[in-house]
Amino acid sequence: MPSTEVCMDRTYPFRIFVSLLLVLGITVPGLAGELTEKMKQTTDKILAIVSNPALRDPSQTKERRTLIRSAVDERFDWEEMARRSLARHWDERTAEEKKEFVGLFADLLERTYLSKVEDYSGEEVQYEGETMEGDYGVVKIKIVTKKNRDIPVEYRLKKRGNDWFIYDVSIQGVSLVNNYRTQFNSIIVQSSYENLVKRLKEKVEMK
Amino acid sequence: MKKLDLELTVGLFIIAGILCLGYLSIKLGKMEMIRGNGYDTYALFSNTGGLRTGSPIVIAGVDVGRVKTILLDNYQARVVLHLPANLKIQEDAIASIKTRGLIGERYVEITPGGSEKMVEPGGRIRETQPAVDLEELISKYVFGKI
Repeated sequence: MPSTEVCMDRTYPFRIFVSLLLVLGITVPGLAGELTEKMKQTTDKILAIVSNPALRDPSQTKERRTLIRSAVDERFDWEEMARRSLARHWDERTAEEKKEFVGLFADLLERTYLSKVEDYSGEEVQYEGETMEGDYGVVKIKIVTKKNRDIPVEYRLKKRGNDWFIYDVSIQGVSLVNNYRTQFNSIIVQSSYENLVKRLKEKVEMK
Repeated sequence: MKKLDLELTVGLFIIAGILCLGYLSIKLGKMEMIRGNGYDTYALFSNTGGLRTGSPIVIAGVDVGRVKTILLDNYQARVVLHLPANLKIQEDAIASIKTRGLIGERYVEITPGGSEKMVEPGGRIRETQPAVDLEELISKYVFGKI
């Protein structure tokens, strides 16, 4: 039948285009490794700071911490992390409260994890691949300790402007944002947001 | 006349019995004849830890829905969640697989997010947390010590 032939001819280029898109869509994320590259830059930067013998001296601790913090700040989206951790209580806050909370949250994470970073003693970081989907991406890494134990870590990134920023880290499958979201929520529901801020401040000031 | 009455009563009893049986099997099998006017969303997990079709979905400890299907999708588990139509899930909500007690049944917990964007019917809950494998943790602890 001539009518069906015409019809097939018309869809043919379209079908090639679609299959081309499919092939490209599948191969592009594998080839690019853009996110892995970005994470590698940040990780290498921090590793260079912590393994720098000149900064090892106790008198240099403050300098070293500032350097680490600025390297971390470049890749972490503190506002997004704080917003996600506060979840539905975020909208109820005023602009100043939000700003204060983001600062406190970043300080809290610094206090909690900086000492761990400073204890760095030659652990190896292996890059296990990445996935990208629209404005969201995941970079999987594995930290191999000296005792040969693997710690799987997943960085979740979101595109903002032309760069990618971390909004969640999950270590051994446990998400940081989910952990804080549950804790913050139970504190706010049981007492108040003011109490949460008070507790965060105490924690941050504690050495 | 009297005989007919007796037969009719017995017949009615049997029909009532069959209806009861049908009701029980639907109820116990957690099979829903009418799917209500809910909607489906899905989430990808790296490990479901033995989650099953019909497992509960929970928000703040409240049972809100059921797991509709679990499929293998690119070596990940694709879990379809059936939720009531009036329950809106934020785009940044986190779905995690939890265990009741230490070795109890698995269920999906959703911790609501704060985003203004909602997950559309058929959409995906992006943030997930796989089941924590207790055995794996113990073996890591045991063998890590050596």
